[in-house]
Amino acid sequence: MSHNGARNLFIFGSLLCFAVLIVLTIDTIGTLDERAPEITEAVNAGKKVWHKYDCIGCHTILGNGSYFAPEMTKAVVRKPKEYLKKFILDPRTINPKAAMPKLGLSEEEADNLIAFLDWISKVDTNGWPPEPILTAAAGKGSSMGQTLFKKHDCSACHQIGGLGGTAGPDLTHIGLEKPDADWHIRHLKDPESVVPGSAMPAFAHLSDEDLRELAEYLITLK
Amino acid sequence: MQYESQKIAKNFYTAAALLFLIQIVVGIVAALQFIWPDFFFLNFNTIRTLHINALVVWLLVGMMGATYYVVPEESETELWSVPLAHLQFWATVVAVLLVIVGYIVMGLFPQANSMIFGTLLLNEGREYIEAPRWADWLIVISVLLFLFNNFMTIMKTKKFTAVQGVLLAGLTVLALMYLPGMFYTKSMVMDQFWWWWVVHLWVEGSWELIAAALLAFMLHKLLGADKKVLAKWMYIEAGLVLITGILGLGHHYYWIGTPKYWLWVGGIFSSLEPIPLLLMVWDAFRITREKRGVVQNRVGLFYTVAHAIFNFVGAGLWGVIHTLPQVNKWTHGTQITTAHGHLAFYGAYVLLILAMIYVTLPSIRGVKEFDQSKGYLAFWFMTISMVFIVISLTGAGMVQSYMERLLGLDYVTVKTSYNMWFWVFRAIFGVGFLVGVLIFVIDFFTLGKKSAS
Ligand code: HEC
Ligand code: HEC
Ligand code: HEM
Ligand code: HEM
Ligand SMILES: [Fe+2]
Repeated sequence: MSHNGARNLFIFGSLLCFAVLIVLTIDTIGTLDERAPEITEAVNAGKKVWHKYDCIGCHTILGNGSYFAPEMTKAVVRKPKEYLKKFILDPRTINPKAAMPKLGLSEEEADNLIAFLDWISKVDTNGWPPEPILTAAAGKGSSMGQTLFKKHDCSACHQIGGLGGTAGPDLTHIGLEKPDADWHIRHLKDPESVVPGSAMPAFAHLSDEDLRELAEYLITLK
Repeated sequence: MQYESQKIAKNFYTAAALLFLIQIVVGIVAALQFIWPDFFFLNFNTIRTLHINALVVWLLVGMMGATYYVVPEESETELWSVPLAHLQFWATVVAVLLVIVGYIVMGLFPQANSMIFGTLLLNEGREYIEAPRWADWLIVISVLLFLFNNFMTIMKTKKFTAVQGVLLAGLTVLALMYLPGMFYTKSMVMDQFWWWWVVHLWVEGSWELIAAALLAFMLHKLLGADKKVLAKWMYIEAGLVLITGILGLGHHYYWIGTPKYWLWVGGIFSSLEPIPLLLMVWDAFRITREKRGVVQNRVGLFYTVAHAIFNFVGAGLWGVIHTLPQVNKWTHGTQITTAHGHLAFYGAYVLLILAMIYVTLPSIRGVKEFDQSKGYLAFWFMTISMVFIVISLTGAGMVQSYMERLLGLDYVTVKTSYNMWFWVFRAIFGVGFLVGVLIFVIDFFTLGKKSAS
């Protein structure tokens, strides 16, 4: 290739590619409304809260950001919103082992933030994040209680034998610490009445039978 | 060095060296916070912001210094205005200091980051471009003054050399590509869409042009290689960088809410991005082999060639391994990204600026011979440490992708138990890296001064 040929490759090749980028950008902007729910006042206010407290400095969202803390795109799918709100307001009261500091959000800011997280969870991301294909913690359990534990996704917040989330206490030995099945039933129905200030969601909608099965299962964990 | 005004480069290099030191110290704090989250009085997000902003700013400042050296030499005349260059230098330093103070205030009192005239006062809350809007404008003005000064210098003699053309083209695109990050959008999808224009079109576009130009400049200066041949290959490299890199932007649009065709566009074009980087390695080796006998500044050449190699390894290889959508689906936003980010920035731009410093500083100081041993020592401390940091992070990323993404384990569990040893290794090698930086900084301040006495 001659000197001028090389220079022309540089100038015209890059201009051509840039033109294609512009076309694709215009097309992309046109499709975004179909790929995401409407942006309400609350969602926009929540996005501003996200920026104000620099949440991206620890978390990723849509997979971009910092890798110090969990991905936020599907946060409201993983855990109930009431729990998330309480956690964001004061992480370490909810979970003494939390690494997230208390940032001083107001009630209103937290509500808007949840609206924003709800919005982002509904964006069409071409299937990301993917469902785990080897799912260690899913499937049927060996007893009715264990199956219910999995079905109601208790492991989103609790660990048993190293598997599960860390939002609530580790339940590997809960049968030793809290051996009373009735305590568990009361706690599952209305956690706050048993543990003041508890951030665990209530499972009052479960049938009495299911609650009993769950409680019986919990006290076998020793 | 032939022109007195080229000495202005030294100011920029000094600022760059000091910010480099700060960047690495806070990097180690960030690494320790992975082990002890409460290790420091500022939270992780503030420390990380300081780490990556110090990095970007010192590289930019280094590029400015390098340009102030290159343009008079290529144009064969003094800089158009030395006072303007001084003004631009000090304006940049003051703006940077103000922004840093703002980050620290915001770290201590998050509420202080309030909304004023529709923008956040202290921190924009967007990775890499955290600097608030008022600072964005200062940065733009500073860069425009800088470009203007260099442009006027070129106009004095109208020697439009190829190196100057590509260098100034890269710097102009750099300034332009800052603008897509300077407006607010309600949609987080749009927000990230434009954000990647800044980040990707910088490091995989305009900055690589600057690298291609500086590489050609250094190979000529060190080895006296033929300018015509150098220019031709520089055009080919720069052309391929942009042809693959502009649409390679698509590798960030797979999963952020943008249409599916980006999987094809991004996958195909970004897979080709390593080719120009490989050409640069070949270029450096070919010319070095032809002209080896004549080199005086061996350490300068050493850094130049190392830059070409690690640009290819860090950006090219560590980039291409996770660039196909089928892989990126599992690794997106994991420590694999961090591993790539570190090796790419180190190889492509940290070593580039260090090479420019070693190539030009001796003549700025007016010496031909100088003690080169510290330069090598710094290189080996930094590079070996960086390689082990990247191995640790790649290991952490593989464990994370497997356990969190494939098995569905909880993020925090993987981070605090399975990956703990990797964090410890990273912190230890971080200290090794710091030793290298310290040796470099000492060398920077003393180089060539002893032989004078
Ligand atoms: C200093 C780092 C840091 C900052 C800043 C930060 N977080 Fe966190 N966050 C964490 C960590 C670490 C966790 C994981 C749980 C833990 O160990 O505390 C977490 C957990 C969470 C969770 C719970 C996720 C889950 O699945 O249980 C939510 C929700 C959350 N953060 C939201 C936010 C929001 C919103 C902001 C900004 C207002 C924010 N975080 C700022 C570090 C941070
Ligand atoms: C959104 C998170 C979350 C979910 C989902 C959740 N929990 Fe909890 N859980 C907590 C928190 C937080 C606590 C600590 C406060 C308390 O004791 O109420 C807790 C406490 C507990 C305790 C008491 C542990 C102790 O050491 O005192 C048990 C038992 C328990 N949960 C069982 C369950 C079961 C069974 C399920 C599923 C049906 C479940 N949890 C679902 C968050 C959760
Ligand atoms: C030239 C120098 C390059 C530098 C300095 C660089 C740097 C970075 C950085 C810092 C990130 C992380 C951004 C973030 O914080 O979110 C990133 C992401 C990425 N880079 Fe590069 N990069 C370079 C070149 C390349 C090349 C040539 C390729 C591909 C061939 C590539 C592929 C990727 C991919 C796929 C991601 C996204 C990772 C994810 O999905 O999380 N990079 N790059
Ligand atoms: C010249 C050398 C270095 C360069 C170019 C560099 C670059 C970067 C970049 C670009 C990021 C943000 C993007 C990403 O995470 O992918 C980052 C984050 C980080 N760096 Fe560095 N860094 C360097 C040295 C160090 C050192 C020595 C340490 C300490 C051991 C360190 C610790 C960190 C940590 C802890 C993060 C946050 C990562 C995360 O969010 O998980 N860095 N660095
Ligand atoms: Fe990229």
